Amino acid sequence: MSLPPSVPVIETEDLILRGYREEDFEAFARFAASDRARFVGGPQARYDSWRSFMAGIGHWSLRGYGMWMLEHRETGEAAGRVGVIYNDGWHEPELGWHIYDGFEGRGYAYQACRAARRHAAEHLGMNSIMSYIAPDNTRSVRLAQRLGCWHERDVELLGTPCQLWRHPAEQVGA
Amino acid sequence: MTLSLNIPRLETPRLILRAPEPADFEPLCAFLTDPTRAWGFGVEKDRPTAWRWFAANIGHWALRGFGYFTIEMKETGASCGISGIWEPEGWPEPEVGWVVFDGFEGKGIAFEAATRARDWAYTDLGLTTLTSNIVPGNTRSVALAERMGARYERTYHNPNMGEDMLYRHPGPEALGLETDNDGSPEAYA
Repeated sequence: MSLPPSVPVIETEDLILRGYREEDFEAFARFAASDRARFVGGPQARYDSWRSFMAGIGHWSLRGYGMWMLEHRETGEAAGRVGVIYNDGWHEPELGWHIYDGFEGRGYAYQACRAARRHAAEHLGMNSIMSYIAPDNTRSVRLAQRLGCWHERDVELLGTPCQLWRHPAEQVGA
Repeated sequence: MTLSLNIPRLETPRLILRAPEPADFEPLCAFLTDPTRAWGFGVEKDRPTAWRWFAANIGHWALRGFGYFTIEMKETGASCGISGIWEPEGWPEPEVGWVVFDGFEGKGIAFEAATRARDWAYTDLGLTTLTSNIVPGNTRSVALAERMGARYERTYHNPNMGEDMLYRHPGPEALGLETDNDGSPEAYA
């Protein structure tokens, strides 16, 4: 693979969006093993989490983009992941968000999604990106609404029914 | 620390061991999703999960500095299997692994590739011992491990495969390989 998994760093008010580090795995695995991961393919056993972690890195090499780790500026802790996912089986690239335990309710997902969505529009040619949301994931529905998204249609993702929400276009260039 | 990918290109008389490329996915996917062929390696239920394995192997290279190479036939350029060094979470220690795709068996490709990968791990990575994990009943892999000089050591529980046999390969000295005393990488002679 000639393409390195080089990940641009994006800073927001409270977060640093950056590439994966090996030491992020414990926070990643804790989230993946928790009930809160039920909307994103979990809960997962540790071996499967490790595999997902590795695949998240490989995604950057194969696609040239992926999910960022969210580093909480104040504490340096891993607060979650946000970014563009285009695994095999996806209808189109998706803006996804996972916020880890203890970092919810502070607007971090909103902050990171705005930054990632702008990056996708400006650098990846993906404007008006979409997000998959499990129908009973009310928190994510609320965030999507706050981000200005609308419920475009119902789809199946890897055999599971889910909703496809469409983001508004970002103002690019000028 | 920034993760980087540094995947070398190795040669044998008939083969090239190189970094995976997007075009390698199709033959790999055909193998991984075929339960009659992949049962000893780890079957993937469908194309999306096989793609995740493909991506995870690249992440493994970035995190560990080693992983599975694509095996390419020099003569035809065909992607005919994978071989390399593997140590995901929960593995007892790094192992040499090999897979040969449909239509390429019985030509000694796995032996040639796995021996080259093992030499690279000892000489360039500075590893001092290596294993191969083999599912009970996989007599073809046992025969190849033994042909490489590996010996059965113990049976253990593997987080992905369940009951698994651990074979121990001869070390670098026994194979007559030159390595630094400190185990640091050096150029392959």
